[in-house]
Amino acid sequence: MSSTVSQTGAVRVRPKEKFDFFNDARVRSAFYQLLTAGVFAWLVWYLVSNTAHNLEVRGMNTGFGFINNSAGFDTDFKLIDYTPGVGTYGRIFLIGALNTLFISALAIVFSSIFGFFVGVLRLSSNWLVSKVALAFVEIFRNTPLLIQIVFWYIGVFSLLPMVKQTLDLSLGAEMLLLNNRGLYLATPVAGDLFWLTPLALAVAAAGVVLLRRKARKLQEHTGQQSKTLLPSIALLVLLPGAAFFFTDMPLTWDVPTLQGFNFVGGTSVPPAFLALLVSLSIYHSAQIAEAVRAGVLSVNKGQTEAALSIGLKPGRVMSMVIIPQAMPAIVPPLISQWMNTVKNSSLAIAIGYSDVVSLFMQTALNQAGYAVEMVGMTMAFYMVISLSISGLLNIYNKRVQLVER
Amino acid sequence: MAFVKSEKTPDRPAPLSERSVTGWMRKNLFNSWFNSILTVGTLLLIYFIVKGIWDWGFADATFMAENRRECFDNSLTGACWAGVIDWLDNIFYGRYPRDQIWRIHYGGLMLVLWMAPLWMERVKGKVLIAAGVVVFYPFLSGYLFAGGDKGVFMQLMVTGAVVALIANTANMITGLLKQESLKGFLLRVSGQTIAPDKTQRNILLAITGCAFAAAFIWQMNWRVDAVPWTKWGGLFLTMVISGIGIASSLPGGIILALGRRSKLTVIRVLCVSFIEVFRSVPLITVLFMATTMFPLFMDEGFVLNKLTQVIIAVVLFNACYMAETVRAGLQAIPKGQYEGAHTIGLGYWRMMGLVIMPQALKHMIPNIVGSFIGLLKDTTLVSIIGLFDILGMLRSISKDVPWLGLHKEPLIFGAMLFFILCFLMSKYSRYLEVKLSAGNRH
Repeated sequence: MSSTVSQTGAVRVRPKEKFDFFNDARVRSAFYQLLTAGVFAWLVWYLVSNTAHNLEVRGMNTGFGFINNSAGFDTDFKLIDYTPGVGTYGRIFLIGALNTLFISALAIVFSSIFGFFVGVLRLSSNWLVSKVALAFVEIFRNTPLLIQIVFWYIGVFSLLPMVKQTLDLSLGAEMLLLNNRGLYLATPVAGDLFWLTPLALAVAAAGVVLLRRKARKLQEHTGQQSKTLLPSIALLVLLPGAAFFFTDMPLTWDVPTLQGFNFVGGTSVPPAFLALLVSLSIYHSAQIAEAVRAGVLSVNKGQTEAALSIGLKPGRVMSMVIIPQAMPAIVPPLISQWMNTVKNSSLAIAIGYSDVVSLFMQTALNQAGYAVEMVGMTMAFYMVISLSISGLLNIYNKRVQLVER
Repeated sequence: MAFVKSEKTPDRPAPLSERSVTGWMRKNLFNSWFNSILTVGTLLLIYFIVKGIWDWGFADATFMAENRRECFDNSLTGACWAGVIDWLDNIFYGRYPRDQIWRIHYGGLMLVLWMAPLWMERVKGKVLIAAGVVVFYPFLSGYLFAGGDKGVFMQLMVTGAVVALIANTANMITGLLKQESLKGFLLRVSGQTIAPDKTQRNILLAITGCAFAAAFIWQMNWRVDAVPWTKWGGLFLTMVISGIGIASSLPGGIILALGRRSKLTVIRVLCVSFIEVFRSVPLITVLFMATTMFPLFMDEGFVLNKLTQVIIAVVLFNACYMAETVRAGLQAIPKGQYEGAHTIGLGYWRMMGLVIMPQALKHMIPNIVGSFIGLLKDTTLVSIIGLFDILGMLRSISKDVPWLGLHKEPLIFGAMLFFILCFLMSKYSRYLEVKLSAGNRH
């Protein structure tokens, strides 16, 4: 079809490209895809039919009807009401899921704060401090989390004094009690008109935001710096304080008291919860510290030098120049550590904290025996969580990129 | 007259503040009042921690005792290492029959012998050596550890492994002595160095065939007692699971990563969903699924032992993590490399194998080793579903009658063991990274 005129002027006809069925890229790609799809479909059919057959043979129950059945066992730690024998398996799932989310959220907060702190220590100009931080990071990163969890549980929180010799961490106020049955906290009980105090706090916070924004605008326009720290603190303390005081201090404490062999009142968390919280926080803070260090080091040294040379103080160099540039490098590994925290909280099963895996996928499964459904629900729960967290990460990445370019 | 110096002026020594110990200390420890306080505080902290550990773990500790009571009689505040020492065999080998432990040692030695050439500069054919280890070693060691009757397939694989190991060792020796490959050596000895390719190939095939036949006959009368997998345990079991995991997660991860970046939609979608599903759930749920649901998935009557189920779960799980690491490495390769490879006429597999993968993997060495370390640490999870790996063994010390309630010391011992292994691995990966990137530095 196509022809070219060569330099001698003779017309040369290029031979028509033969359609080679076996070597055509499109044919091949269609073939491989069909093959893969076929194999996959066969595999799914094989597994599903086997499972259905096996379930039938073994007389195992199927379907999601069990969610409304009542469960006959109790758990030692729950955030919502539940009575054994009345509460359903659906509620058990909810309790487990909430327990997982609760401990993960706490561990994420603690490990992020502590991880940033250790990461900064790692970068300290003080040789000794940075080496101690290094030792901390290496020790906790290079030992299995499961050993750490078991160690904290058996080696620390189970060896605490018995109920009779309870430790009082609040130095005699009996607000914070620790013994081998767990941690007992005094809980505030709100009285009449207490809602005014949080309201005042919210108003104060809004005021602080306004104040800072105004100060910033002033600085951007005129270069004048105004002090916002003291007025902010004053606002935050005085306004809610005044509200609290003038409503006759409507707050009482529900203090845990010893009755018989155990403490009653307040809030309590079992030792397994404490062990898991402490070990997750420490383990992940070591990982986060490394992420922070790598992020800060990824900022060019020239940035620090330039910032110092225009007269910024070291603290300001950190907060205004280094950290904003390091954040895009820190946040992705940080968020993936958060995801790992949620996943690793499933190791609770080793020490018997009632998270979704140990409560639903083990205890409930052993009781009711809907293996496929229960494992599926548990996995779906984790998938939803990690997909939402990675969605969060994507949003952040987009925003950072927009700001940058 | 020339006022040019004919010799170099000797370097002046660095100022005293730069090279003396006090100068260094002033600069790094006491350069401001805040840092001075920090240094003193840290020193105090270190003192108390080190002293506490020393007193508990060494000075007041009991190393020789019959049972826990004797430990308490000796000292109430010190560690009772006697329990750990008493259980050392169990910690390392589990309940493997004591008169058969040489098999584990042989297996370990064989692995060392097989892999040692990878670290020798003069030995050639490293990729082949590594491939040989991954393909053949599991069968040889598998037979050695499990024992019992060999099927035909197992006999063939064991023979192949023996031939490969002998060839590998011979290759190492020729490499060390003459710095040439075994192939070159054999051809030189038989005087066929300049013979046509076909003749050379035939000679080598004949030698391999003879060796194979000899080895086959040799291995026929090998007989070792069967040791059921339920007797495997301790560090040995941890090493088996994580070794298989490490050896197969990298190839699996590479395949999944290539699939994820494939242009074929069906393959890509399948790989992405596979990777994402496994990465978004905790390992313990995958292990539970493997042990409770795997029997449901298979044909009725098809029974797979728990260890195999666990290993399958560990391999799949880690392949998915490795896939993401490899993918990150692939993304770091500039487009020009792909285009260059296409230009010189390489097809997809050659381009990947010869140009892209070597660069991508080199980039990701620290992350790959990081994944291996993670795998090694995660292997402890199998103790939750009832295998007696190292953690399972450490925890059962406290249930042994003489050492009832001895929890802390075994766990600390296990943690130290893992720390040493993982720390060495990560340090080695740093060293490797520096060594391999030597060519890239400008």
